[in-house]
Amino acid sequence: MTDERVTSADLNETAVNLDDLFHFVDNNTIDSEKISAPRYSYWRSVFRVFFRKKINIFMLVFLAFIILVAFIMPNFWHYDLFENVSNVKSFNLKPSAAAKYYGGASTKWLLGSGPMGNSIFYGIIASARTSLLLAVICAAINMTVGILMGALWGYSKRFDSVMLVIYNILANVPYILLVSVLVYIIGSGFWSLVFALTVTGWMSIAYFFRTQVMIIRDREYSMASRCLGTPTRRMISKNILPFLTSVTVTLLATELPSYISMEVFLSYIGVGLSASIPSLGRMIQQAQSAFLIFPWEFWPPVAVAAAITIILYVLGQNLADASDPRTHM
Amino acid sequence: VKKYLLKRILFSIFSLLVVVMTVMFLVYTCIERSVIFQTDDTWNKKKENDRIIYEYNQYQKYGYLSYVDYTTFLKNKYEGLYGEGYDTNEDYLADRNVIQDASAFRDNASVKEFVKLYGGEGYAIKYLPPVTYASGKVKPGGTGFLLAVDEKNVVSRLWNYVKGFISIETTNTVQDENLTDRYIRVEKDPYSGFYAVVGSGTQHKYLLYVDGKFPFIHQNFIHLNLGTSYTTYRGSEISTVISSSQGEPKPTRQQYPTMIGTDQYVDTAIDFHSLTYNTGIVSDVERSQFPDNYTVFAYNRDSLSMLQNSFIIGVIALLIAYCFGLPLGILMARKKDKLIDKIGNGYIVFIMSVPSLAYIFMFAAVGTTLFHLPYKFANAEVKVLAYVLPTISLALPSIGNLMKWMRRYMIDQMNSDYVKFARAEGLSEGEIFNIHISRNALIYLVHGIPANILGCLTGAIITERVYAVPGVGNLLTTAINSHDNGVIVACTVFYTTLSLIAVIAGDLLLAKFDPRISLSEERGGGR
Repeated sequence: MTDERVTSADLNETAVNLDDLFHFVDNNTIDSEKISAPRYSYWRSVFRVFFRKKINIFMLVFLAFIILVAFIMPNFWHYDLFENVSNVKSFNLKPSAAAKYYGGASTKWLLGSGPMGNSIFYGIIASARTSLLLAVICAAINMTVGILMGALWGYSKRFDSVMLVIYNILANVPYILLVSVLVYIIGSGFWSLVFALTVTGWMSIAYFFRTQVMIIRDREYSMASRCLGTPTRRMISKNILPFLTSVTVTLLATELPSYISMEVFLSYIGVGLSASIPSLGRMIQQAQSAFLIFPWEFWPPVAVAAAITIILYVLGQNLADASDPRTHM
Repeated sequence: VKKYLLKRILFSIFSLLVVVMTVMFLVYTCIERSVIFQTDDTWNKKKENDRIIYEYNQYQKYGYLSYVDYTTFLKNKYEGLYGEGYDTNEDYLADRNVIQDASAFRDNASVKEFVKLYGGEGYAIKYLPPVTYASGKVKPGGTGFLLAVDEKNVVSRLWNYVKGFISIETTNTVQDENLTDRYIRVEKDPYSGFYAVVGSGTQHKYLLYVDGKFPFIHQNFIHLNLGTSYTTYRGSEISTVISSSQGEPKPTRQQYPTMIGTDQYVDTAIDFHSLTYNTGIVSDVERSQFPDNYTVFAYNRDSLSMLQNSFIIGVIALLIAYCFGLPLGILMARKKDKLIDKIGNGYIVFIMSVPSLAYIFMFAAVGTTLFHLPYKFANAEVKVLAYVLPTISLALPSIGNLMKWMRRYMIDQMNSDYVKFARAEGLSEGEIFNIHISRNALIYLVHGIPANILGCLTGAIITERVYAVPGVGNLLTTAINSHDNGVIVACTVFYTTLSLIAVIAGDLLLAKFDPRISLSEERGGGR
């Protein structure tokens, strides 16, 4: 812009020589086809907006730290719930007592010992890994199946009428009942719980997406696009799915932490993972009856579960905000 | 609208049936039934055929199947033929012992009759041959058995359930030849002072009566038979379990029916409105206290019923939630991006993301240590204080949830044309927010109100567990853990019915609240 500004000095000069002011421009057909616009990359803008908030950087670093610790450290700090099960004296020791009992402070007994003489600190690290894995795997399965089915559900009217009946019925089966029955049938291992949480878990996501797809499917620009003869695949990939990015991320932000909460809840009512698998829910469940007497057994797993869920939730919400193109201005 | 409503209700009943059938299939067919013996000492002690018979007996109790033992069949047959002294009859003894001979029993006439009778009805005939040592001596518990077993399938199970679901009192409910005077009439009720509908020949004596207990007017005409507990509440009907008072019997000065009109009084905890017909033998003591055969009673107890406990906690929490959540949501929307909005958002994020178990324990810890409120429900010295922590624990997350949605809808409405118009007309910001925007934003929240109120009846699982509240919230979870199949089905019916009613009621309320919405398909938008 600045180099095109015309100063009064220029004007005086041009008044003398008109040939310098106007010169013939060749009608270049190739150039005229180019539309000049600032370079715009969607995802770069998303991350530019996302990293503008300092809290996101802080939380990402914190999350990375938790993930690294949870996935690397259990290899060195082997956690065994039953390692001191025969030694009653090692049960329920508070951190200072544990340090005294084991002769000096150590990382293993940093947070004291649990109801079976197990190390609380090693326990929560091993449990955090289980919880994170569970959340990521369940969210990945449910989101993928849910989005694909939801897109189909929203796009095909015949499929819609069938699915609505199934959904209305399945949504009324008590969820705890379904999960606990499934856990009973296929056992209480990690993959059984994943199966139990995903076998109907995708339905609510698919239903949510159905509504979203239906709204966009009937928007004017979609109709215009269809009138111009855009094929279905292009309609879905260019017209509908980009519009749903921020919705998808918002959903992910609530889905990811919800599986951690779900595991805690299921363990609490006694239908979660088996006792041999370290999990935050199991630790909380074991410590809850005496949480006023042995607070060091109860609060650390609660704090870790809360920290993970809050971080995932806030990061997800902020990413969802950033993925809305209206914030890219 | 009526036609639409009828359609909705019919579809709801259909989906209720499908849900119940699905749950029955899950509970009775999918779960390995032998898990009920995992912690059963009696089962461990039983040996050989005795153990198998015990298993069948337990399966029958848990509702998996029904079976008929050959010896029972024989007893009935010979008792019919010879009366009292049948058990010394030689034919009877011979018929009874024939099944101990694995090679010859098939030719016995009674066995053939048994097989024909029950085999024809679709029963599976099972023969357990006697288990013997090599010497021919029968091992302990090794006696032979002949059984006819009816493995119920899902459809017949559902049909039986639906058939027995509603029982209506008539004067012919009680089957007793000696009872000739059968009636239903209005009488003066000596226990309440009002009039009551009293029946004779009905199961309950008092069919419609008034008393001082919530909901004050009670009826016994129609009884919903949700399901029977097998383990947790041995043999009781679930709708009775959840609605009858708990705790210790609470005696008051009352009169037995025969004392009415005299000045005799006794201290008794009997609830005379609960009298039901005694088909057995009425003892002399009972005869002196009751003029008729309605002598079976329940006690007045000193604590509320499970349903009342859950409902009180739920409804108060709900009121608190609406009283705080909505104004706070409006405030947050008005002060968007200011400090108060940020604090509110922090609270919402905390409530939404932290596992509910975790923050309920946090509330419990704060309440018990700072305010010295009772932690476990039963330990409360002042009964009212026991309700405080559960109610607050239930209210705080609902406040967060309501704040979140109220704020969202308010902000969505703030850019509407009518707001700009109102502002141009010169309305004050207070008027715009409190009257115009909030009313439009509330439309979205109206739909959930019936679900929230009815949801109070289903109780809160975690809250009730943490504070050990004797409520309905943990009915389902304890039933699942103790394989109490009848309760599982009952809970499913209860929860599903409530949620179906809630959805329909929510739609109706929404249509009432917002005249732009039309439920019937002819009018309004949508396709």
